[in-house]
Amino acid sequence: MLKAIIIDDEQHCIDRIKKLLGPYTDALDLKASCSTNAEALQKIAQIDPDVVFLDVHLQNGTGFDLLAQIKPIEFEIVFTTAHDNYAVEAFRFSALDYLLKPIDKEAFDIAVQKIIRREGMKSASKRLEVLFQNLENKLAGSRKVAITTLEGLTFVKVDDIIRCQSDGNYTQLFLIGNKKLIATKTLKHFEEVLENHQFFRVHKSHYINILYIDKYLKGKGGYVQMSDGTHIEVAVRRKEEFLRKITK
Amino acid sequence: MMQIPMRRFLPSAFFFLLSFFIGAQEQDSSILIDELNAYKKKDSVRVNLLVGTAESLNYSDPDEALRFVDEALTISSQIGWEKGKALALRQKGNLHYVMGVNLRALDAYQQALIISKTINDRNLESGLLGNLGNIHADMKEYDEALEKYRTYLEASKELGRRSDQIKALTNIGIIYTDMDKHDKGIAYLEKALSLSKEEENDLFIAAITNNLGLAYKGLKAYSESLDYYEDAARMAKKIDNKYIEASALNSVGKINILLGNFELAKSAGLNALEISVEIDAIEWQADSWQVLSDVYENEGKSADALMAYKRYINLRDSVLGEEKKSEITKKEMQFELERQEAEANATIQRQTLIKNMYLLAGILVAVASLIGYLLYKRKRDALAEKNIAEFNTKVAETELKALRSQMNPHFIFNSLNSISDYMSKNDVDTADEYLMKFAKLTRAILEGSEKKWITLEEDLELIKLYLEIEALRFKNKLDHSIKVDSEIDVENTLVPPLLLQPFIENSIWHGIAKKETKGNIDIEIKLEDKMLVCRVDDDGVGRKKVVGHHLEKESMGIKITKNRLDVISQLNKMKGSIDIFDKKQGLRVELKLPLKLNF
Repeated sequence: MLKAIIIDDEQHCIDRIKKLLGPYTDALDLKASCSTNAEALQKIAQIDPDVVFLDVHLQNGTGFDLLAQIKPIEFEIVFTTAHDNYAVEAFRFSALDYLLKPIDKEAFDIAVQKIIRREGMKSASKRLEVLFQNLENKLAGSRKVAITTLEGLTFVKVDDIIRCQSDGNYTQLFLIGNKKLIATKTLKHFEEVLENHQFFRVHKSHYINILYIDKYLKGKGGYVQMSDGTHIEVAVRRKEEFLRKITK
Repeated sequence: MMQIPMRRFLPSAFFFLLSFFIGAQEQDSSILIDELNAYKKKDSVRVNLLVGTAESLNYSDPDEALRFVDEALTISSQIGWEKGKALALRQKGNLHYVMGVNLRALDAYQQALIISKTINDRNLESGLLGNLGNIHADMKEYDEALEKYRTYLEASKELGRRSDQIKALTNIGIIYTDMDKHDKGIAYLEKALSLSKEEENDLFIAAITNNLGLAYKGLKAYSESLDYYEDAARMAKKIDNKYIEASALNSVGKINILLGNFELAKSAGLNALEISVEIDAIEWQADSWQVLSDVYENEGKSADALMAYKRYINLRDSVLGEEKKSEITKKEMQFELERQEAEANATIQRQTLIKNMYLLAGILVAVASLIGYLLYKRKRDALAEKNIAEFNTKVAETELKALRSQMNPHFIFNSLNSISDYMSKNDVDTADEYLMKFAKLTRAILEGSEKKWITLEEDLELIKLYLEIEALRFKNKLDHSIKVDSEIDVENTLVPPLLLQPFIENSIWHGIAKKETKGNIDIEIKLEDKMLVCRVDDDGVGRKKVVGHHLEKESMGIKITKNRLDVISQLNKMKGSIDIFDKKQGLRVELKLPLKLNF
């Protein structure tokens, strides 16, 4: 039986999670629901939960502030937020689970089932660590992004990625220093995660870091020569937008 | 006044071309120079003086003479006196001839000839022809020489100038003799001789007779030859011309040796030697010693013979040396002349080349600037066009964004109405489920409204969500299906977000909602001729029943969509369309838009 705590400053949100937890009473035991930071700190220390549903926006600060005061964090966290692109991006970067409010049942079920299977436990602390690093780091390029590989989770600095190449349902990542990773996510996933960074989808199979373009070779669509010496085709339909992007 | 050819370098063959350097005698030169110094005015008088002075210096100082000639030329040119120019040029030719520079002489004579023709001075012209003939003869260019002499002959006949006629005839005869055409040579010479006799010109008679001797000698008619030579010697003695006399006597000696008359040969040889020593003519002396050497040998005086022979060789060598030297000088000068000519030609060629290059460079620059301008213009035009296009695009995009933002509240309020409807019916769970889906859709739409294009896959996901929301509202009264042609790559096909939504909404609200029984919405996406065809079919009540009721509200979403489609068509330069068909049961909306692929 896993011990759970809900932290949210709005009662109706707590009620909703409670309601959604209804089918999981066999696996999850809701020990407490708190609406303030102080209360939450106290309850966490007292209960030592296995899972915490944590709202990003609390009355006196954020959920991140709260987490910062707890060391070590030995529980899994499911973040909840209404609409916060910044936080959502941070979660995606760190491969942390999050639920958007109003919480959809389907999404909630998936998240809870994952917790019950204890899938994320292994890398939980690492992911949180990276989350904090990323939140503190104002330089987008030096943020770390979680890469799911067959061996597990790896974190890679955004600026270390030269390019991503689609390989069926996998994606090959070419990093600086001739390193290579095979991620178990599609290229589309990386396009979504990195969309606010200096990356561009030049081709159906290629998503490149604009910072590592050495030169552009004219042609129908043309080619880009990357700093690792590879030549990447630019799709004809992407040429115009690509040129607009790199000349900006 | 005429002169026997006084060539500085004597030809080895002993005949005399009748040349003529008209003018004052050498001794007059100092007087002339004084006169010249006194007369400073630059007019024809000074020109005549200059030419005359130059003539007087023919042999003594040809270099100085050339300076006078050049001054004469300059003055003539300045005062525009053509004849003066011609006279000066002729004198210049004479000087060069004397100096042995045949080519320069030729050049000067030719120039003079041209002028004399233009000013129609026949006398001058005929004289120049003679001079030109002499030079060609000298250069052993016999054909040219003959041609010049013949013209000279014609001219002098025409002008009635006997002496010129005689000179022409004589010279032609000499040329033929030199060409070993002795018969012809003799014929001309005899004609010249008879004319000279008519004229009683003893100098001519002596010279021509001497030449006849040479001609007959060439024919090996020695006795005739001897007669002519003896005649020539006699005549020369009579007029006291020692050159001809010495030459003729030497020839008499040589012929007598050939005839075996050694005594006669000896007296002729000794006589010739005496005269040639007197006039200091080395070549003649050499000839005399040759004759004497033969004579002494015949007499058995081998020591004398040897002595004579040595003298002959020495003198001959000195003559030859001088000749050689002059030959070399001549060759050098000729070479120099040719070099200068070649240089001049090269300069002309170079200048032509430079001129051509400048021209070419000019043309190239012009062409390049033209091309440059055209390219610039093209680029500028293209840029202007691009700017206009970009501006239009920006306007259109702004418009699109405005339309999309118009889209959202429209949809939001319709959905809120539905939720409100549920709540009023007290179905809280359904209202909640509805709300969840609505939130999800709203989130997606908000995100989508940032984008101009989303993939068909994403859009269909939204449509599906929307249809699910609507289906919930109608509680199993609404069924739907979405069919996508297999040749369409939904992940790679781009569409403007939620373009179909207003039509689906229309079908539901005004087609299915008003229907008593269960309704169907069938969505089909096909590819037709590079156009994406999206079809929304409903089996609702159709438009007829709706007319007059919600027409205005109904048209709002469609109006927005039409506007969006117009802008998209404009941006893609491909016309999209919306067609609405009334079916027997329900309505069909067909939306065609240009196929846009992501990659």
